[in-house]
Amino acid sequence: MARLAGKIAVITGGAQGIGRAIALGMAREGAKLVVADLQEGKAEAVAGEARALGAEAIAVAVDVSDEKSVQNLADRSFERFGRVDILVNDAGVYLKAPVIRKTEADWDRTLNVNLGGNFLCARAFVPAMRRQKSGRILSIASSIANTGGREFADYAASKAAIVGFVKALARELGPDGITVNAICPGSANTDMPRRHRSEEETMARLRATPLGQVLEPEDIAGPILFLASDAASYITGQSYNINGGTVML
Amino acid sequence: MSAVALITGGGNGIGRAVAHRFAAAGMSVVVADCEGDAAEQVGAEIEQGGGRAAAIALDVTRAAQVKAALEQALQRFGRIDVLANIAGGSFYTKRIEEFTWAEWKRVIDTNLKGTFLMCRETAPVMQRQKGGRILNTASNYGVTGSALRAPYAAAKAGIIAFTKSLALELAADGIRVNTVAPGPTDTPRVMEKETPEARRQRWYAAIPLGRTGRPEDLAELYYFLTTPESAAITGQLFHCNGGLL
Repeated sequence: MARLAGKIAVITGGAQGIGRAIALGMAREGAKLVVADLQEGKAEAVAGEARALGAEAIAVAVDVSDEKSVQNLADRSFERFGRVDILVNDAGVYLKAPVIRKTEADWDRTLNVNLGGNFLCARAFVPAMRRQKSGRILSIASSIANTGGREFADYAASKAAIVGFVKALARELGPDGITVNAICPGSANTDMPRRHRSEEETMARLRATPLGQVLEPEDIAGPILFLASDAASYITGQSYNINGGTVML
Repeated sequence: MSAVALITGGGNGIGRAVAHRFAAAGMSVVVADCEGDAAEQVGAEIEQGGGRAAAIALDVTRAAQVKAALEQALQRFGRIDVLANIAGGSFYTKRIEEFTWAEWKRVIDTNLKGTFLMCRETAPVMQRQKGGRILNTASNYGVTGSALRAPYAAAKAGIIAFTKSLALELAADGIRVNTVAPGPTDTPRVMEKETPEARRQRWYAAIPLGRTGRPEDLAELYYFLTTPESAAITGQLFHCNGGLL
């Protein structure tokens, strides 16, 4: 049952972690992919993995906080596939630091990539989705949007802002048959939690959920695949929590 | 061995659509409804379509009936993997001072107590099996409140908090518990009270996707929450309302 047969999907931040799992999950469901990432080599590797699964896929280097770069991503996507049905905003960055020591440049970078990337990509892909009267926009927020996180104030603010942006955009685009949703994942088994902790500490924290299982990138990809499919055509403006039960809202 | 699902309120509306969706996915389905004839009808539809189904007349507010329904379901299919608590309703639209105590209790008991009784009887079965999924049903009104539907909004908000508590209690047993919150949905019960035109006028402008929900829209969400794709999800609330909220 290929739920995304023939659909064209652009995945920012698709080169690793959750974005990679989403890209490969969509490839398995029959989608054609544009794997977009700041790290072009890694994006190309994921596109190669998708092709090995039988999907058409290209890799495009993108800085989602750069207008020209995002426009180039859109141009390359339409050039190659002629349309875009699914946009996944997964590209994100963070720099751990207490607020009183956070530089303005670091603040700007987090907000420009995490939140600004959502805006620039929406602006680049929405006109075509409006013309085709269909589309799916999916953003990766974070459970930190709701809980906050010590020394992650910029990240938390950017992710909470995505939740608000998604609601507003859903209202704007609903009449054109475009749905806009987010996922708020808990901490997942990717490189990200390992940057500030030992392997042992990371795994202990990842296991400390009510369900007692480590949140894998595939656990986040699953709900994204559902939201991208026709089965979710009446769902819009939502930010679903995927976290093994650590946060309930 | 196919998974077994027990669906309350399965005789009509959203419950009926969920029963059909689960059966189409290969589950054996126990259709429970306070209208026994409606449950029988849905069970027959499923069997005619090549599925496996049993029908039970069940008032979820009666503990003895709930217990008997579980025994009957287990006797027939041997296990319960999925419980979908969909029986419910607002029944009345009127000001708080006009509600009688009996009416208040009818709304609270059908929605909230019924969910409790069903979960209380089913959880031990799932604990023995070391796994299961429970899907409770709230409403957008459980979050926003609703003038003239105070007991309904209270019951649905209660279900949301009940679900979170139960999710924490049962997580260690591999049982996931989540809530689905339908928005305005075209079920026979609401459609017989309101013309399609009145419904359009009341809702369409407020819903970004420009239409009210269909039972089938909701059924897809209930089904997703039973699949391995939702393996990391418990204690959560899932709105499905076309963007109304």
